[in-house]
Amino acid sequence: MIQVESLNKRFGNIHAVRDVSLKIHPGQIFGLLGPNGAGKSTSISMMTGLIDADSGSVSLSGLKPQSKEARHKIGLIPQSIALYEELTATDNLSFFASLYDIPKNQLQSRMDWALDFVGLKDRATDRVSGFSGGMKRRLNLAASLLHDPDFIFMDEPTAGVDPQSRNKLFDNVLELKELGKTIIYTTHYMEEAQKLCDQVGIIDHGELLALGTVGELLKQHGGDTQVSISSDRGVKEFKSSDVSNDLIQALQTSDKVYDISVNSPDLEAVFLNLTGRQLRD
Amino acid sequence: MNKIVALMKKDIKLLFRDKMAVFFTFVFPLVFAFIFGSIFSGDGGGSKALKVAVVDLDQTEQSQQFVKSIEEADEFTVTLTSEEKAKDLVRRGKRVAYFILPEGFGEDYKGVFSGSPPEILVGIDPSRTAEAGYLEGSLMKLGINRFEQAFSNPAAMTEQLDASIAQIEESDDIPQEWKSLLNDYLPKMKELTELDMGSEEGFGFGDDGEANPMMPLKVTKQEEVVQRSGPKNAFSITIPQGAIWAIMGCVIGFAISLVQEKTLGTMNRLIVAPISRTQIVAGKALGCFTAQIAVVALLFLVAYFILGVRFNFPKLVLAAVASGVCFVGLMMFFASLAKTERSVAGITNAFLLMMGMVGGAMIPLFVMPGWMQAISNFSPVKWAIVAFEGAIWRNFSYTEMMTPVLILVSIGVVAFILGTRMVKLEEA
Repeated sequence: MIQVESLNKRFGNIHAVRDVSLKIHPGQIFGLLGPNGAGKSTSISMMTGLIDADSGSVSLSGLKPQSKEARHKIGLIPQSIALYEELTATDNLSFFASLYDIPKNQLQSRMDWALDFVGLKDRATDRVSGFSGGMKRRLNLAASLLHDPDFIFMDEPTAGVDPQSRNKLFDNVLELKELGKTIIYTTHYMEEAQKLCDQVGIIDHGELLALGTVGELLKQHGGDTQVSISSDRGVKEFKSSDVSNDLIQALQTSDKVYDISVNSPDLEAVFLNLTGRQLRD
Repeated sequence: MNKIVALMKKDIKLLFRDKMAVFFTFVFPLVFAFIFGSIFSGDGGGSKALKVAVVDLDQTEQSQQFVKSIEEADEFTVTLTSEEKAKDLVRRGKRVAYFILPEGFGEDYKGVFSGSPPEILVGIDPSRTAEAGYLEGSLMKLGINRFEQAFSNPAAMTEQLDASIAQIEESDDIPQEWKSLLNDYLPKMKELTELDMGSEEGFGFGDDGEANPMMPLKVTKQEEVVQRSGPKNAFSITIPQGAIWAIMGCVIGFAISLVQEKTLGTMNRLIVAPISRTQIVAGKALGCFTAQIAVVALLFLVAYFILGVRFNFPKLVLAAVASGVCFVGLMMFFASLAKTERSVAGITNAFLLMMGMVGGAMIPLFVMPGWMQAISNFSPVKWAIVAFEGAIWRNFSYTEMMTPVLILVSIGVVAFILGTRMVKLEEA
């Protein structure tokens, strides 16, 4: 389990993370959703021990993230392409693996697995500089999985990725969940959070505004569903908190119905309701 | 240790993947050493105000007069000292040459038509072969002052004698006794001069002219100094300079790569891995050190097998290790100052170029003005060159090697400590 208690971080006058507390259960995909500059990467940096918090604490299965034992359990996929472009995919993986005391007799099989996992086995001996953006992103992921970490921190892993690679990455995330990994996934794409995450935390200006499953967030902060019915009586639009019941009633009063449109709230709406602005503002 | 070696191997691999870096680290220094070595192998021309040590063992009026003329000459800056000190100054490169006026100098100095020319013993810094001709010429010019101008030129002297004999014959004013005396003396003097002109051993500078009193000076080179400590060729001078360029290339490359680790984000991977900050820094330092040693080894292998440069191997290792320590420290220090590749490249280039210029990596120290030579003591480049030269041709003892070695190691350790304290690995 990952337990975060009252994390705070300031950079000069900017309060980047304010009193963030959360619990992430093993095997969960936790999404940290927020616009650019919301404090997602800073939170991840503190949770992985990359930077120290001004106050608060992080526990990874009872371990401090800075401890050597915890570091063996952490897999970080940085927001940037953290690879050596002039080296081959294998050279990169071989180097990063060497930092994790992976036994020599397991090294090749771990590298083969990681390359296969991200669909780059046939490009193993190619230099990274020749890869597409999506391929680099996938190798970026592979480099973080060599030591079989329990906690996988993915910082905006789909930034600048083509749809094909994005789908492959989604598949990878879900496969990792099936393998029992705990995944912390930051994004500003609400579709990704909605599609992948068991639990979502919405963060803005360093503050965790809401926390829960997607369903819970939608229910608590999404607002009503927007319903539009076009019938012989004209077009009727209304907000509904009980769509099926409201629809039945509306249909009973009409002879002919031409069109029905139901717009359920999404995480964008949740963010809008919580902050008063769009997620991509 | 395995992790440090892994970091080092990765950096060396990256270095070799970058063709430009390989060129500037391994090829350019060789080209530099070769081109400048070839240039300096020829007649490089002279230089004014050569620093020389002068020893007056004769202590006569004439020797003191000659020393004074050397002191007053524009060509020389003179240090009067003992024979032992003078030789040591030249051997250590502090003076371009020494002049020793041996006992008997004054006696010979007085004689013009009899005896031997006054002998002067000269030892020249082996690396200053380009100035040797200039220096000897300047000495001869001073020596020639003991004659009247006409007497220094036998042909002119013969002409002058012929004219005088004819004039005496024609003259009615000269008393008969005088005429008789001069008619007896001048033809004999002419005969003597013609004999000298016909002699192959006559006036050649530095040849076997001991018996020729018409020589302004007899310059005897102290050959044993040259043979014992001098370079066989000018590459012995340019190879250390090339090594410095190569080392500076490594420093710039690794300082940039350290900053690049931060900007790329690979440093974040290193920090979250089970590897300590010390190991990260040590890995980078070891990579830089290994690259430096590799390039120095390559240069000296080429120097030994192709360019004929000879050196003392243990002392060369000492010089290479000390330089390596120094410049690894400087690399770490520069990397700690900058946040971007561009800024670290700018800072490192500017500093090292300046240090190289004042330290003798570009222009040999001896052609620099005195104040700049004094400044060169603050340049690690100077001490690295001195250490390499100590192993090649300055014939430094281990005790003498300790001066540049300790200075280099001290600079390296201080810079490394400062750098590792200041560098923020987690800045990315």
